[in-house]
Amino acid sequence: MGSSTGRASGRGLVAALATVALIAASCGSDDDSSGGTTVVGDSSNTTAGVDSTPASAGGTDVRELVVARDMDVNSLDPARAYCDTCQIYLTAVYETLITVDPSDLSQQIPRLATSWEANDDNTVFTFALADATFADGSPVEAKDVKWSWERLSNVKASASYLMDGYSSIETPDEKTVVVTFEAPNSAFLPIVSAPYMGVSNSDEAIAQASALADETAETDDSAEPFFLENSLGSGPYQLESYTEGDALVLVRNDNYWNGTPQFPMVTIKQVKDSASQLQQLQAGDVDIAMQISLDSLSQIEGDPNLNVSTTDSYNFVYIAVSPGAQGPGGAELQDPMVREAIKLAVDYTGILDVTVAGNGKLQASPIPNGFDGSADLALPAQDLDKATALMAEAGLTDGFTLDAMYPKVNVYGVDFDVMMQKVQQDLKKINIEVNLQPVEFPQWIDAINAEGIPLTAVYFAPDHTDSSQYPGYFGMIDGSPWSVRAGGGAAGAPIVNEKEAPLLSKALASSGAAKTAAYTELGQEMINDLIFFPLVNPQLVLASQADVTGNLYSGCCNLDLSFVGIG
Amino acid sequence: MKRYILGRLTVVPILLIGIVTVAFCVSRLIPSDPLASIVGERQMNNEEIVNAAKQRWGLDKSVPRQYVLYLENLVRGDLGTSFRTKQSVVADLGERIPATLELAVAAMLFGGLGGVVLGAVSASKKNKPADHISRIFSLVGSSLPVFWTGLALLFLLYARLGWFPGPGRLPPRTRPPDHVTGLYTVDALLAGNPKLALQTLHRLLLPAFVLGWAIMGSVSRLVRASMLDELHADYVRTARAKGLRNATVMRVHVLRNAMLPVLTILGFAFASLLTGAVLTETIFEWNGVGSYAVAATRSLDYPAINGVCLFGGLVFLLANLVTDLLYALADPKIRLS
Repeated sequence: MGSSTGRASGRGLVAALATVALIAASCGSDDDSSGGTTVVGDSSNTTAGVDSTPASAGGTDVRELVVARDMDVNSLDPARAYCDTCQIYLTAVYETLITVDPSDLSQQIPRLATSWEANDDNTVFTFALADATFADGSPVEAKDVKWSWERLSNVKASASYLMDGYSSIETPDEKTVVVTFEAPNSAFLPIVSAPYMGVSNSDEAIAQASALADETAETDDSAEPFFLENSLGSGPYQLESYTEGDALVLVRNDNYWNGTPQFPMVTIKQVKDSASQLQQLQAGDVDIAMQISLDSLSQIEGDPNLNVSTTDSYNFVYIAVSPGAQGPGGAELQDPMVREAIKLAVDYTGILDVTVAGNGKLQASPIPNGFDGSADLALPAQDLDKATALMAEAGLTDGFTLDAMYPKVNVYGVDFDVMMQKVQQDLKKINIEVNLQPVEFPQWIDAINAEGIPLTAVYFAPDHTDSSQYPGYFGMIDGSPWSVRAGGGAAGAPIVNEKEAPLLSKALASSGAAKTAAYTELGQEMINDLIFFPLVNPQLVLASQADVTGNLYSGCCNLDLSFVGIG
Repeated sequence: MKRYILGRLTVVPILLIGIVTVAFCVSRLIPSDPLASIVGERQMNNEEIVNAAKQRWGLDKSVPRQYVLYLENLVRGDLGTSFRTKQSVVADLGERIPATLELAVAAMLFGGLGGVVLGAVSASKKNKPADHISRIFSLVGSSLPVFWTGLALLFLLYARLGWFPGPGRLPPRTRPPDHVTGLYTVDALLAGNPKLALQTLHRLLLPAFVLGWAIMGSVSRLVRASMLDELHADYVRTARAKGLRNATVMRVHVLRNAMLPVLTILGFAFASLLTGAVLTETIFEWNGVGSYAVAATRSLDYPAINGVCLFGGLVFLLANLVTDLLYALADPKIRLS
């Protein structure tokens, strides 16, 4: 009798499994709406081999582009957005006056401006605008540029610093913008090419979003919710929708003034980790995977369905010491010989191997490879004998304990835990006992700003393509973040290198070779500070379906969607 | 019964205020500054930007004042604006709760119903191969970490065999159906798009199975143990002596009585699924409450943390209430008392 109940239960189970199987079978492959995920083509594409001219539909509609990315969007308001994904979004939607040539960091190319010039002392910049239109068909005028840049400055958000030091923005006519600075600012043209300097349709922003650009913007502007659902730019794409944690969807700007954008729709899909991005790329569910880790490279290299290459980046990961920090090791770090010993004890090539499987470069100073002032500086190298001798000379033959709090993150393919364990091993060789303390990012910020951290690890990606951002952040210059942190945060006293501020002023007032020389000198001074030891300048994996073209890394904008097309 | 329900509902607001108070205090006690997430690490030393952000997000006020303001807004149904998403927390939760609910319901079907079925099979086939197989299956499900099961099944069934779709609630290059309930399977049907409904259901299967398998073990073991207890009861012997078919005895008498303790487990399992499906949501890119809670915690997003705690507290209180009511319905002795 018991068996009949068992049969009934068994039948139910079989029926349930059959239903599951039926659903699975009936659905089959559910990406049939893609219209073209079967890809063929050349797998040997490299950055150098890719045309960097904007892609145009040329009358042929192609499929929707799907980009897999772990998004870090903090806002879609052009005056408040400040993140890597924001750079991609802003570049696609809000055009800048000029942009950076993806194949040459030092070259600016036109976008909304047809021409531009700086006066001799780099205090006045004049831009002539093209006959461009916003997505609603209204013309892009000088007043829109003035309004957008003043709003960027006055909302006092994260990217507002880009407008620091300007004294006026004049609009002598509808197509001319003149920006004047109080002091020379040779960084301004590269800054103008940063995505955060995009231009909004001011009339519509005021009318639809009640956006403010004057001094009251800091306290009274409340346009951000509007910009999370709408866009008012002149770029090739417009915002369709954004769902945090899910997808950022762009649609083609049918009124685009500079050709026909290639894709009817672009979706940046939230895909958290490298392994999942890799799987979805291989399955054809996404066209571009932006954060494939370097140690996964071997799994997709040679796949005929994919375009895979690596390219140099301007991102880097570094360790830093704070001689003024309160924790264990802070006092010993005040001796420059100890800091130099640490620098010489680190096995730089070994760290490149364990973190990014050798797919990266060493870097001399906080100015990354490829930027003005990075070329002529000596790369760091391990010298254990000299490091041991310096420790002895400092009277620390028996070593000491060094606290190392760092954010527990994995950025640019570098796992900080792995990297810091290697640093710990290296410093053990000169009897420095490193006490690793991985923490969440907000906790790390709190600690480093409050009382400094004796040894830490951080990362940096450029906001724009000018070298001034590096001494401005890393320099031992009064008011710079790291001058305060190295001195022990709010509890200590800032460390100042008197040579660096004049050198930065000199660089900002120079052009060409003189500017490069000033930044080279600044780079050497930052090396001499013995505060920062850049460890990894990682390469990036560019991975896409084989028929996708123009998947380039851009120093200003991360990925410029206007260059992406289907070959 | 009405008095019982009213009495229980009366304490709900008091408990919820307790929950938000604890959440508010604990989040403020964490030795970190949420401004780091708002203005970014590089601008934390820029006094002008930091002050503007403090003022904008109300962090320039004293903590007691922030608490009073929070409660005042809460009474009006305003949970504040997320530091991270810059949207109202109510809107954020409104977007994510349907996703989590859809996953939790499907997982309950797998885990709850599956657990009951397996438990019943085990009890009726005690110490026979079917019993051993169902017990091993349940045990494996509840023993394996959810993240491992999810990753392994995705690798095997999606990346290698292609039998199941990849992570996410929708197929690539597909827009969500018009929002009615937020449950994509239901909304697709309401929109007259059965193909999309099937596709979304197909995408639901794997995460629901992973999540459901984890609770299947405890449910099936409880059902098995309860049924075995009931099988030896006098009333069962009497029912069989009266000539009732075994299937009827098992279904009408044994299973019904054995379900009483299981109801408690199911109620709390459902509440746990709604509030704790973090790993499954992360692995399957399911944009639900769990992944929202993790992101909020990592960035010290006070309004979102409080909102999630409030939601979690409400879910558990309601689950408790519903379980008690079901218990009373299922057991006349409880109802009468």
